Amino acid sequence: MTQKLKISSTLRCDVLIIGAGGAGLRCASAVLEKKPGTHIVAVTKVASPQKSHTQTAQGGMAAVDPRDPIDKPIYHMFDTWKGSDCIADQNIIKKIVEAGWEQAVWMENRGMHFTRMEDGKLSKRTFGGHTVNFGESSAFRCVFEADRTGKGIMDNVWGESIKGGTTFINQAVVTELLIKGDRCVGAVIFKQKEGEFVSIVAKATVFATGGNGQVFKVTTNCRQNTGDGNAIILKAGLPVMDPEAIQFHPTGIVGPGILASETLRSVGGILRNKELEPFMEHYAPKMKELAPRDLVARAIETEIREGRGILNPDHNIEHVWIDLRHLPDYVHDVEIPEVSGFFKKFINLDPKKDLCPVRPSNHYQMGGIPTNENGEVQKNPREMVPGLFAVGECAAASFHGFNRLGTNSLLELITMGKFAGEKIIDTLGEDVPDAPEDAGERSFSLFSRFMEAGAKDNLGKIREEMRNLMTEKVGVFRTEQGMNDAIEGLRELRERADKTVLASQSLIMNQDLIQRWELNNLLDNAMVITKGALNRKESRGGHFRDDFPDRDDTFHYHTLVHKTEFGDVHLEKRPVDMSLYEAKGEHYEKFGIIERKY
Amino acid sequence: MYNEIYDITLKVKRYDPEAKRTWVQDYNLKAGRILRFTDLFRRINNELDPSLAWNSSCEHAQCGTCAVQINGKPLLACELLVENAVAQFGTSVFKVEPITIAPVVRDLIVDLEQAYDRVHKAKPYIIDGAKKSQAQAESQILPRDLERYVEATRCINCFCCATACISSHKGFLGPNAVMASIVRLMDPREQAREERLDLLYSEEGIYRCHTSKACSFVCPKEIDVAHFIALAKEGKFKT
Repeated sequence: MTQKLKISSTLRCDVLIIGAGGAGLRCASAVLEKKPGTHIVAVTKVASPQKSHTQTAQGGMAAVDPRDPIDKPIYHMFDTWKGSDCIADQNIIKKIVEAGWEQAVWMENRGMHFTRMEDGKLSKRTFGGHTVNFGESSAFRCVFEADRTGKGIMDNVWGESIKGGTTFINQAVVTELLIKGDRCVGAVIFKQKEGEFVSIVAKATVFATGGNGQVFKVTTNCRQNTGDGNAIILKAGLPVMDPEAIQFHPTGIVGPGILASETLRSVGGILRNKELEPFMEHYAPKMKELAPRDLVARAIETEIREGRGILNPDHNIEHVWIDLRHLPDYVHDVEIPEVSGFFKKFINLDPKKDLCPVRPSNHYQMGGIPTNENGEVQKNPREMVPGLFAVGECAAASFHGFNRLGTNSLLELITMGKFAGEKIIDTLGEDVPDAPEDAGERSFSLFSRFMEAGAKDNLGKIREEMRNLMTEKVGVFRTEQGMNDAIEGLRELRERADKTVLASQSLIMNQDLIQRWELNNLLDNAMVITKGALNRKESRGGHFRDDFPDRDDTFHYHTLVHKTEFGDVHLEKRPVDMSLYEAKGEHYEKFGIIERKY
Repeated sequence: MYNEIYDITLKVKRYDPEAKRTWVQDYNLKAGRILRFTDLFRRINNELDPSLAWNSSCEHAQCGTCAVQINGKPLLACELLVENAVAQFGTSVFKVEPITIAPVVRDLIVDLEQAYDRVHKAKPYIIDGAKKSQAQAESQILPRDLERYVEATRCINCFCCATACISSHKGFLGPNAVMASIVRLMDPREQAREERLDLLYSEEGIYRCHTSKACSFVCPKEIDVAHFIALAKEGKFKT
């Protein structure tokens, strides 16, 4: 049975926001604050904006208080540049860092509950890579709301968006970008609860769809983070930037993938292998457990590869142990209660008595939809797509380069959301053309193909195989051979997926249908990650090549990947903005091509 | 201890919106001790039945999407481990049903629109913020002021409390929605106190609550929801 697919209705609005997490709704709030009454439609894949991935961020948000006697924005800029492995864009670094504090104040005046000290001053935390005086000592730079900063931010921008009259469309996915001439005029969405396609025409369309963590086997990301934004952009013939720049956190908790924060190592946690040997001394004799994230991740991965990992039979995942048993009760109860609590709640272990299983986990996509400093989407390094914006994890301006510092992501999504919102206000006077005649056709043909497939297989299994393949071949360690294998493997998985029959032909809340659509997106993401990584014959930040272990500045550019057919990609370069260096101002020499050594 | 395997039976209440048919389907699984119920649902999809629909998002107990009823108790499936479930309920057979405060779309997935409309009605934001002096840019809330209501800020609107509440179906906004308003009444930044009190003492407000305290009992975030409702009933916020 093939149903006749159609557009059920067409909606017109001023601003269409796809993905109603922190970045998307900060953008909505910015528009509504300056232009009350603007008709904003925010589409989210989850049951309510409050269920977005932003909600899970724990640590905090980096922001330098201009009144701070010790810390300075220039130090934060330097840390971000160095952390990025010298490939973030300096115009973006400057703009975001300088706007940080104002954004913290904006949120607190609208309901955020930043943790404060008894005297009323904001509490601040240190975080890896954040320093004062260009690496001299740790900076107290990160404001936070207990262990739930992301939730505080999410409630904040969600509340402001409700207050401003935003229309929310929940449990819907974007299936197609509407482009007329050169301009983006909106998008086609598929409402899961109703099983209907809706065409939405907007003066400005904002992608804020989050990351692609589900490409990998163990990830800290939400179930919905399937790289939909990247995939839709690629389908529209537009590029994705630096897809190979993926961050792996060294210690995710096996099972739920929740981060076991680096605090565990800074308070004295010891990493041990199957023989209970404290292996970090072989990899970083001096720093041991306190070596940088990427080094620790590679050490753990090496132990596992060389057969010194432990298999968790329940989740079928190999891991190493983090040993916290020797730490005094005070440390457990006062310094690491949240993370200790995660081990208890999600794997029923008592870190005071038991060894705890951890392994490198996918955490963040540093690359994404290329934009300028206002979140305007680029079709190439010189031209924008009028009417189209991207913010948050799905976008790359690029603030993080090839390695993101902790607490810089919340800062980025809040500031870029605001910048895009302000830029969007300029477009609100424009007339927007109608949707193109063939709006929806590409979505219908895709969904029809899903429904017509007839081979017996299991989409969940194919997805698991892809996640294993990518974790093994394009994860913490990458080699030319491994990635060529991955490309072959991805083609086979795609062929299998294309033939697999759906569990049901229904359009209404058909989980198998949506997961089929997501699987295509995941495979597209996996393919461009692999192609980008294969092309980059150097190691930089989160991208590590066994066969090219050093940074090589002939690769000092952003990768732009265009996709034609599955597996066929066209690569282009975007230059790295070095304006802080080129301005020759005070401390400019810190912004040259420097070593990333800690 | 790592190799313990449980024989689990999930009796899942299913619903097909097209045939408008409801039935209970049994799934038998062998499951390790630390698998969570969301992991079991995924296993069912990958190994037994891809048509079973269930909802989740973060699976870190921080978004509330995976709220379901297990043997009648509303909880988050992502934080219920197999061995804890067996110990807590004293059985390896589990009745799995959608939460009851919203219409079912399919199987375990409910349509939260109307439920969330009640939260929106309670205005989960500062309606009218305190005027700031120029010198003091941020709205400082001292830790001792925040202490009084910080617990309530942890609410993720999973609707477990509303599902357990004996008054939910009688025109009550629901424990989480009234708490969303109470938390802003306790927030020193909020100036629109009258508007908030009008809603709390309205027909759909706190007097619908029968003080069963089921909300506090089931809250996955361990918020004493009933305490906050009791403060409002006592008239603590009247000026």
